[in-house]
Amino acid sequence: MVTSAYKAEEEIMAIPIHWWPHRFQWLERFREATEIAPLWHYFINSALFSITHVIATVFFGAMAGFGFAKYDFPGRSFLFFLVICTLMIPFQILVVPLFIEIKALGWENSYPGLIMPGLMNAFGVFMMRQHASDLPNELLEAGRVDGAGEFHMFMRIVLPLLAPALASLAIIVFIWSWGAFLWPLVVIQDRDLNVLSVGLTNYSQPYQRPPMWGAAMAASTVATIPIACLFVAFQRYFIKGLTAAAVKG
Amino acid sequence: MPAAPRRGWVATWFSGPRRHQWWGLAFVLPVVVFFAVFSVFPVLFGFAISLTDYSLLDPPEFVGLDNYRNLLGDKLFITALGNTLLFVLGATVPVWAMSLTSAVLFDQAFRGKLWLKTIFFLPVLPPIVVVGVVWRMLLHPNGVMTAFVGLFNGATEVPWLASTVLAPLAMVAVHDWSVVPFFMMIWLAGLAGVSPELREAARIDGATAWRVFWHIDLPALRATAVFVAALSSINAFQTFALQYVMTADPGGPANSTLVLGLLVLKYGFQYFRMGDAAAVSVVMFVMILSVTAVQLRFNRRG
Repeated sequence: MVTSAYKAEEEIMAIPIHWWPHRFQWLERFREATEIAPLWHYFINSALFSITHVIATVFFGAMAGFGFAKYDFPGRSFLFFLVICTLMIPFQILVVPLFIEIKALGWENSYPGLIMPGLMNAFGVFMMRQHASDLPNELLEAGRVDGAGEFHMFMRIVLPLLAPALASLAIIVFIWSWGAFLWPLVVIQDRDLNVLSVGLTNYSQPYQRPPMWGAAMAASTVATIPIACLFVAFQRYFIKGLTAAAVKG
Repeated sequence: MPAAPRRGWVATWFSGPRRHQWWGLAFVLPVVVFFAVFSVFPVLFGFAISLTDYSLLDPPEFVGLDNYRNLLGDKLFITALGNTLLFVLGATVPVWAMSLTSAVLFDQAFRGKLWLKTIFFLPVLPPIVVVGVVWRMLLHPNGVMTAFVGLFNGATEVPWLASTVLAPLAMVAVHDWSVVPFFMMIWLAGLAGVSPELREAARIDGATAWRVFWHIDLPALRATAVFVAALSSINAFQTFALQYVMTADPGGPANSTLVLGLLVLKYGFQYFRMGDAAAVSVVMFVMILSVTAVQLRFNRRG
């Protein structure tokens, strides 16, 4: 895929396979990709979509996880049960009613409509609760004796201690959101508002013209780079995060 | 006799020494409100819609269980149900076998293992749509896969995605290709938990590698196995992105790759038959929940 992004169109399908482009076309395919569809819009939308999800899930997930793990308030078990139940709801069940709901809110085909439904996820809460319960209670008691407010303690003591778990969660959420396809496909009609995964289909099934594989491969490369970078940079958290997502989810 | 100051539980909660516990509720509130609005409500709403005829234009009309009754006689639904079940079959048993085998191989010590493992893991990285687009190119009738097969049987053109037999198989193959490394990592995490002393002891007692695997590793992998089985089938029931990206129409040729996930999209967002779409998703929900129920039973017994 990556090498095809630098090949001339007729070389891509050449048999025998050209493992390395004979005529190396440095940015041709990428230029082509941006001409067929607003590739950079897609990229920016995907980045906005995923980064908002990461920040919101990590912050609110840690907060709720901490709340469920270290406080005893009426209704705690019931509310936690409710959150866990939402883990079992596959997104496909939500698509139709959620679309109607978002439409009623006037958010279809807009950033809020695109971003809101995935802003938090139950898995994050669940994972953070596990990690927050491992924190020593004495730490919180000591903070209280020192007169620290609860929210202040969360920000200054709990969040830093949860940092490694937060990093794993952030990576998982980024991968999920970056690859999200169903919801953006349904809620966005305006092509400038779309995310990369939906935008990619413009290259492989372009309207009224044959597929342009060079451009498709260039766009696919663009869609894979962020995750590949994460993988290279945080390999440890990456695999740990993914397996944690699996084993605990 | 002066009554001792009686404080109700409300007062205790608000002003007693446990006052700070209320912060917990404040901390969980954003998440709870969010799930109420964007998960719990839509699920209930979805059930409600499935009992109506609703086209988004006119107000919904209550029709009771008619949508479900119609599905029973709906050829498209029956086809999609069959295709989904076949896909689930292809995306479970072979995936378990391949991922467990590769995990056991990667659990051995050999040279270049880390590199090989990293390369093997690569298919997990690209988003599913990228996987679909790239495989659509590789499976071009005169493309790379045809050239590869041609080495053996001299074929020059294979209608991978245009044949009603090959296209569904291709969906399963590409899906399996993209998920096997992921499940391998999970098996590996499970294998890491098997006590090395136990294995060593068995080996000293003269057990063959196969017997060690069968009697020591496999029983210890029970929880992992239940998990892999459940997750792989739950994912498979929801499949639609590969079909959407790779097949003509999408779901073609001749509806041979039409799965329930695509049918929801088709009814809901192509025909605007929201009631039927919601009914199909409720059916999917029930199937997925039954997988979860089986998983929980197995977990409890373990």
